[in-house]
Amino acid sequence: MDDTTAVARSAISPAPPETVVAGWAVSGRRSTGALTLTDVSPLAKVAVRAGVDGAMSRALDVPFGRISRDVGALDGADAGLLVVGSGPGEWLVLGAPGAQATISERLGRLAERSTPGASADSGELVTVVDLTHGRALMRLTGPAAADLLARECAVDLTDAACPDGSALRTAVAGLATDIVRDDRDGTPSYLLHCERSSGQYLFDALLDAGTDLGVDVDGFTLTDPRGEPRATAHS
Amino acid sequence: MMLIPCPWCGHRDAAEFAYLGEPSPRPDPSTATPEQWRGYLYLRDNVAGPVTERWYHRMGCRRRLLVERDTTTNEVRPHRSLVEEES
Repeated sequence: MDDTTAVARSAISPAPPETVVAGWAVSGRRSTGALTLTDVSPLAKVAVRAGVDGAMSRALDVPFGRISRDVGALDGADAGLLVVGSGPGEWLVLGAPGAQATISERLGRLAERSTPGASADSGELVTVVDLTHGRALMRLTGPAAADLLARECAVDLTDAACPDGSALRTAVAGLATDIVRDDRDGTPSYLLHCERSSGQYLFDALLDAGTDLGVDVDGFTLTDPRGEPRATAHS
Repeated sequence: MMLIPCPWCGHRDAAEFAYLGEPSPRPDPSTATPEQWRGYLYLRDNVAGPVTERWYHRMGCRRRLLVERDTTTNEVRPHRSLVEEES
């Protein structure tokens, strides 16, 4: 029966009307505001840890502080896969909702190819962990996005210091948060990634801080208006 | 506001870091006397002036680092060894 189908829930309560997209309960709200905040937690999130200068690092070829949508080593990966150099020897791979198993498997294969003959004693330790349901992810888009973030974050987010394609981890509203600058069609846009238990707080803190800037909640869709990966390849 | 120079992330607010204190060598447990353990665990030099300190960038790169801080002026400089080797 349809009413017993399992539905995943993000840490952030969906703004009404609530709808289901790719098995996730999300907000169906549509905003035309200039500054929007969207809960994109349904996106697949996989963390990779490996040596800073090791074979896996060379295979991914995304340095700390940068992002890439075109990591050739993840062969056959669907378009829209986003690899974030989130820390020294740490990467965050984002993909379409439901793709976490495929992404994890491809990263595992890449680790095996990159470190052939590795043993527990001599090999490089690579860990791949699916964080999809353990983290919150939101996207803040609009010309004033940096102004809003500046109210909750002490880091310089001007274009010179934090251009499109940058990634950093810092305190936002007092929470350790990954900030990823990933512009949409020339409009400044930031992905914010934090612990699941802090997601609602961070979402509300940004809405509170941006009241006078007109920040508005926009729902999650797969129809790609903001360039989010499509789920069709995995559904 | 005090800025800590992180070798990975650049200058960041000290609130992003956890203070780990003065680095001191851990005595050998098999030979250390109780006095040596007490000194290692509890006694600090508490110098007025430049000291070497360990900090942990808990909200950033999650790396431990060494800095030199003048305890009378809070002037902070990167330590010459930059990043402490991870044990």
